[in-house]
Amino acid sequence: MWLIDVIRYRLRVLFRPNAHAHELDEEIRFHLSLEAMQREHAARGDLTATDARYAARRRFGNVTNTKEEARQMAGLGFFDTTEQDVRFALRSFRRAPGFTAVAVLTLAVGIGANTAIFSAVNAMLLRPLPFREPERLMDVSLTVPARGDVPAFDNAPWSYPKFAVFRQAQTVFEDVTAWMPFQATVRVGPDAERSTFEYTDSRYLPTLGVRLAMGRNFTPEENASPGGPRVTIITDALWQRRFNADSAVLGRSIVVDGNPFTIVGVLPPGFRGVSGRAELLLAFMTQDQGQLTEPWSHAYSVIARLKPGVTTAFAKTAIRQLGRVVADAYPHPEFKQERWGAIGRELNGTRVDPVVRRSLLVLLGAVGLVLLIACANVANLFLVRAAGRRREIAVRLAVGAGRRRLVRQLLTESVVLSALGGIASLAVAWWGVKILAALNPTTSLRVERAAGMGVVSFESIRLDPAAFAFAAALTIVTGLIFGLVPALQATQPSLSGALRNDSDVSRVSGVRGLTSRNLLAIAEIALAVVLLAGSGLMLRSLGKLLGVNPGFESRGVLTMRFNADVAPDSLPSYYDRLLERLGSIPGVTDVGILDCPPLNGGCSETVIAQRDRPAPVAGTEPAVGVHWVTPRWFTTVGVPLRRGRLFANSDRRGTQKVVLISETAARRYWPGEDPIGRPVSVGQGGFWKDTAFVVGVVGDVRFGTLDSLPKPDVYLSYFQSPRGRMMMFVRTPGDPRSLVQAARREIATLAPGVPLYDVRPMQERVADAMAYARFSALLLATFAVVALALAALGTYGVISFGVSQRRTEIGVRVALGATRGDVLRLVVGQGVGLAIVGGTLGLAGAFATTRVLTSLLYGVEPSDPLTLASIVALLVGAVIVASLIPARRAASVQPADALRG
Amino acid sequence: MGKTSGPSRSELLKGTLDMLILQTLTMQPLHGYAIAQQIELLSDAVLTVEQGSLYPALERLQKRGWVTSKWGQSPTGRRARYYTLTAAGRRQLGDEISDFDRVLVAINRVMRRA
Repeated sequence: MWLIDVIRYRLRVLFRPNAHAHELDEEIRFHLSLEAMQREHAARGDLTATDARYAARRRFGNVTNTKEEARQMAGLGFFDTTEQDVRFALRSFRRAPGFTAVAVLTLAVGIGANTAIFSAVNAMLLRPLPFREPERLMDVSLTVPARGDVPAFDNAPWSYPKFAVFRQAQTVFEDVTAWMPFQATVRVGPDAERSTFEYTDSRYLPTLGVRLAMGRNFTPEENASPGGPRVTIITDALWQRRFNADSAVLGRSIVVDGNPFTIVGVLPPGFRGVSGRAELLLAFMTQDQGQLTEPWSHAYSVIARLKPGVTTAFAKTAIRQLGRVVADAYPHPEFKQERWGAIGRELNGTRVDPVVRRSLLVLLGAVGLVLLIACANVANLFLVRAAGRRREIAVRLAVGAGRRRLVRQLLTESVVLSALGGIASLAVAWWGVKILAALNPTTSLRVERAAGMGVVSFESIRLDPAAFAFAAALTIVTGLIFGLVPALQATQPSLSGALRNDSDVSRVSGVRGLTSRNLLAIAEIALAVVLLAGSGLMLRSLGKLLGVNPGFESRGVLTMRFNADVAPDSLPSYYDRLLERLGSIPGVTDVGILDCPPLNGGCSETVIAQRDRPAPVAGTEPAVGVHWVTPRWFTTVGVPLRRGRLFANSDRRGTQKVVLISETAARRYWPGEDPIGRPVSVGQGGFWKDTAFVVGVVGDVRFGTLDSLPKPDVYLSYFQSPRGRMMMFVRTPGDPRSLVQAARREIATLAPGVPLYDVRPMQERVADAMAYARFSALLLATFAVVALALAALGTYGVISFGVSQRRTEIGVRVALGATRGDVLRLVVGQGVGLAIVGGTLGLAGAFATTRVLTSLLYGVEPSDPLTLASIVALLVGAVIVASLIPARRAASVQPADALRG
Repeated sequence: MGKTSGPSRSELLKGTLDMLILQTLTMQPLHGYAIAQQIELLSDAVLTVEQGSLYPALERLQKRGWVTSKWGQSPTGRRARYYTLTAAGRRQLGDEISDFDRVLVAINRVMRRA
């Protein structure tokens, strides 16, 4: 009832201000006329009507002012007590600039860091995928059973024939599409560049619900059978960059790996395929025939859109059954008993690498702890301040101010303070988001299919309305959290004590306040310990990762990629010329070529067979990574020769085929034996039918990731097994970047118009392989340092306040013979006491929580004793430093001064 | 008393005026002029404020939902706005009276001590 009256009144004032003012006018006219009438009547004719009116006006006061005041009262100050409290709060903050600055800054950092990390979490984990009704999209993958020493795999791509069976048989999806990212040399006019694109079918855009900005989609006819017409849809980015956003681009042609494609459409701005990196889409059916007809050539990702009303769970069951249909249609040619299958996942579940998800959530938790510590710190400041205002509050309580009203006012103060912090935090958040988006540490993770969708990337982190809402909510909650305890405590009714003199007040508020303050300091220390433990573990893990020997010496090596488009027969002489040209660059000491770089997340794999032993059951041959090199690659990157010899320039086509193997391969397949001279066959590069001999054993190289052990590898020589795919490694004693210009010139002379790409120092590649681990470890460490600093500050505040409260007591102690050392010990002992209690609680918390880091750690146990021990040392050190300053002040107390007090 | 604390003089007067208005409305709905007359009568002309200050106070009370208003016919036949005490207003009046009593007690105590 009451609320309805209020709302009705306020709505009327708000929406019909003229009617409201008009009524007020009428009401006042009425009042004045009655008063005038009354006066005229009372004077019994001694007063003229005019004089009576004037008298009425005098009695009434200033009519204009009254109207103005009434209007203001009605309209302004929707929450007028609140407004008053806010004004009061702002006034009192202005009088305490030091307190205000420290509190606002603490909150700004706390809230800003939280908003920034939230923005990352929102972009990477929460924000809906940029497709129509993304919750209806599913990822469909193949499952591969374990075989030999290759473990089972449930995220395998599809072959086109298998996909065709699936598409034909399925009934739960409205649309299904297959796509594959690819790289090629793209030429528009005379300019060639290396570009990423996607092969997509005609259902790709409809499945995702993406509308073209211009032109048309691929037609079903273009998608009907292999060897379809060469048509392409280009991205807005490519259209802008290479065609100057020319509206007449449709029908023009673009050359991809030497083949002209007709542009039929332009994608909307911002959409660069599911990979997030595509420059253009090519019609699916323009791929190699073999790629489209070979059932065991697995390369395509499949995305499907659920029919309306079909649940994900139902679809998952249907997909499992469809997997059997596909497996029956294409049983493995050699392993008849092997059961492949299919598995469905919500597309949203595959958006980021699990490591990214885990680490972002850890960072969000960590930054939340930082904010809690910040809150505890500000609450402490408030408690100290409230102790100083005890008298004021007591007086107000005594003259009848309600406790609720006072709590409300104190809470308003804390919320106003946090609002100031919240506003300042936007600068911190803006800055943080910019840094996060620029760091973009996930690029290096995107080497495997499991590593997320690409369309979800750190580049999409921004301060959006959700982030602002988050910051606003956080601001209010923060204000309430750090304001409530001090507000309740400060207004505890203890009239009699509070109105007495100051020393009594300090005693009363001292005991209770000190306990709350100690608890807050303990909580701060405990939270800081949890953060320190987490970040300590991550840093140790990063240190281990930095200490990993990748198997090569990256310093002084420039790498670049290049695809030779010459006939295989002329490749060997091409390599000779290439090596000679690069080798002739001044400053170059060595040149080598490898087909797939180290730390690439894996390279080609194949099987190896030992020809001097009984052939193993087909399909159980050992798996090896296979790499193509030129003879001097090993010396160029410093991979050591362990036994035998390296490739020689005389190992050419037509001579005896030879291979090199890695130490791990030697250890695994020739344990306790000498592999040199052993006959083998390798399942790729024309080395299966012929027998090759092992001529040397070289050091292990990590081709996968830094944190995975090297696999057995076998090396073939480019000169015995030519291929066009090359990554060149050039060594120089100086800065490898200084070679870039010269290298480009040499390549341009040798192969005009063929783009050189991925030109980077090898050290940068190694750094990239660690980018994500470094990112999460350093960010966590930053949070931990902030937390430690805040906790130290909090401890300092508590102890220093305690000292000022205990001046008299300390004076008495000194008067009774306590030495300076005694006093120091007394005060520092209090700090150490806080550290011990807080540290113990924190360690318990750390033991309970650091397990969430397990999947993020390399070579460190979550309960690593060394890390935890160093954290305890760090913490005790920080607390001693923090309590030393007030302790020294306490030690200098002169008993006479203190007692006179 | 701290410089910053406690209700200001105008705040006190405001609170008293609000209380007086609510008090006059306990018996029956009244229009503004009648409220002014009543207050003068009740307060023995001690608390004679400018009559005009009644109207901002009435807006304030409406905004808080303590009184509502409705246009009606006055005995003279002219249109007048009548104010009615709401249930919330009645509760508020009770609170304010007890607050007021507390203040009086406090003041008395201070005075006796001084």
